[in-house]
Amino acid sequence: MSAERPAPPGFVRAAALVARKDLAVEGRTRESMAASLLFALIVLVVFAFAFDLDFVRRTGVSKIVPGMLWVTLAFSAIVGFNRSFATERARDALTGLAIAPVDRGAVLCGKAFANLTLLVLLEAAVIPLTGIFFDVDMVTAAPPLAAVVLLHSAGLAQLGTIFGAVVSRLGRGEAFLATLLLPAATPLFLSAVHCTATVFEGSPLAGDAKWLLITAGLDVLYFLVAWLLADAILEDA
Amino acid sequence: MRTGLNRTFAAVLVVSAVLIGCALGLIFLVAPEEKVMGAVQKIFYFHVPIAAMTFLSVFLLLAGGAGYLWTRRAIWDHLAVAASEVGLLFCTLVLITGPIWAKPAWGVWWTWEAKLTTTLILWLLLAGCLLARRYAATPEQGARIGAVLGIVAALDVPIVYKAVDWWRGQHPIVFGPGKTNPLAPGMSEAFGVSMLAVLTLYLVLLIARIRLSSLEERIAELEDASGRFR
Repeated sequence: MSAERPAPPGFVRAAALVARKDLAVEGRTRESMAASLLFALIVLVVFAFAFDLDFVRRTGVSKIVPGMLWVTLAFSAIVGFNRSFATERARDALTGLAIAPVDRGAVLCGKAFANLTLLVLLEAAVIPLTGIFFDVDMVTAAPPLAAVVLLHSAGLAQLGTIFGAVVSRLGRGEAFLATLLLPAATPLFLSAVHCTATVFEGSPLAGDAKWLLITAGLDVLYFLVAWLLADAILEDA
Repeated sequence: MRTGLNRTFAAVLVVSAVLIGCALGLIFLVAPEEKVMGAVQKIFYFHVPIAAMTFLSVFLLLAGGAGYLWTRRAIWDHLAVAASEVGLLFCTLVLITGPIWAKPAWGVWWTWEAKLTTTLILWLLLAGCLLARRYAATPEQGARIGAVLGIVAALDVPIVYKAVDWWRGQHPIVFGPGKTNPLAPGMSEAFGVSMLAVLTLYLVLLIARIRLSSLEERIAELEDASGRFR
């Protein structure tokens, strides 16, 4: 009888279930990570050819490496965001998620959390590699850099998930995702590059309080946007 | 409703045509030539009002998108479509008239200053929005996705402006309009009339685009009813 039917999960639990599902799929296939990581490596190598190490040293590591790092992360993250919904499209699984008796905002937030986790794993590989390729001491920079990267990745993952869902609904791929995401993420990138440069210079992050504050604000804003617009995004076409 | 829109359209069209004539007369015959920049300054009488209308489009896009998602009434979507298309047109004009003035006045076609950068980013956001509508499988999906992207774009634009402002603020801006001098007599009249002329032109295009959308919708309804064309 209906009394025995379990109640549908609440927001947090539904989001956690979606995130766990996405991470379990990725844990088994490792498709997204492999694609993103390989792509990141290629972008870094292209940068190494475009700006050789001598040039980077002369210009100053803090002036040029933060930009390279975030361009690399942005492009390889796009590969991951796209994958996150491409797998759902295969058997129209997204429609299944959309009709589940849970808040659709929770579905988007769960996917965003899974995307953030994968992005952080990607960064854990790409940032040390950047340090090795361009002779940056990432070890002393690690604690403040981790904070900067995490704060900006949260917003990027949330925005990437919103646009990833939109692009998947329209049946397009990475190219269109990049077209939508990169201009919209301008404030995040400016802040990320600026704060990363501060860390590489060895200056205290306190001087960048307004950047960190606006990024925290963006993280919250993008979360709210995802939550409020999830119905419109995931609605059956 | 429809005849009301038609009458408004005709009225605004006439007013706009007269005002554009007046504005051109004031700009080239009455307003004095700027001492330092000379004739090239006159592009400002159009550049600034067009830029103002571009950013008005952002508000209309937000209103249209939010209104559509809230009420699901097609008229809000028509407003959003019109605001993105006419906004993209005006944004393009800003990006063309700006450099024409910048080259003689600043010595460069482009600088990555906050206003310029924000306008360029806005152009990309609007173009992305329209492209997404083009890709949609059904008009209804296009309206929903267009509303979502429009809202995100409109919320983003002020933040982009602030971020680029801080970013460039790290370096002194060598070129820049600086403090606005009070306009000379004759200049303010020309500017005021230009503003009204461009505003009415904007409204003409906006209403024309909204009318076009409602006609398209009507045709689709008739086609559905007759079932002959699909």
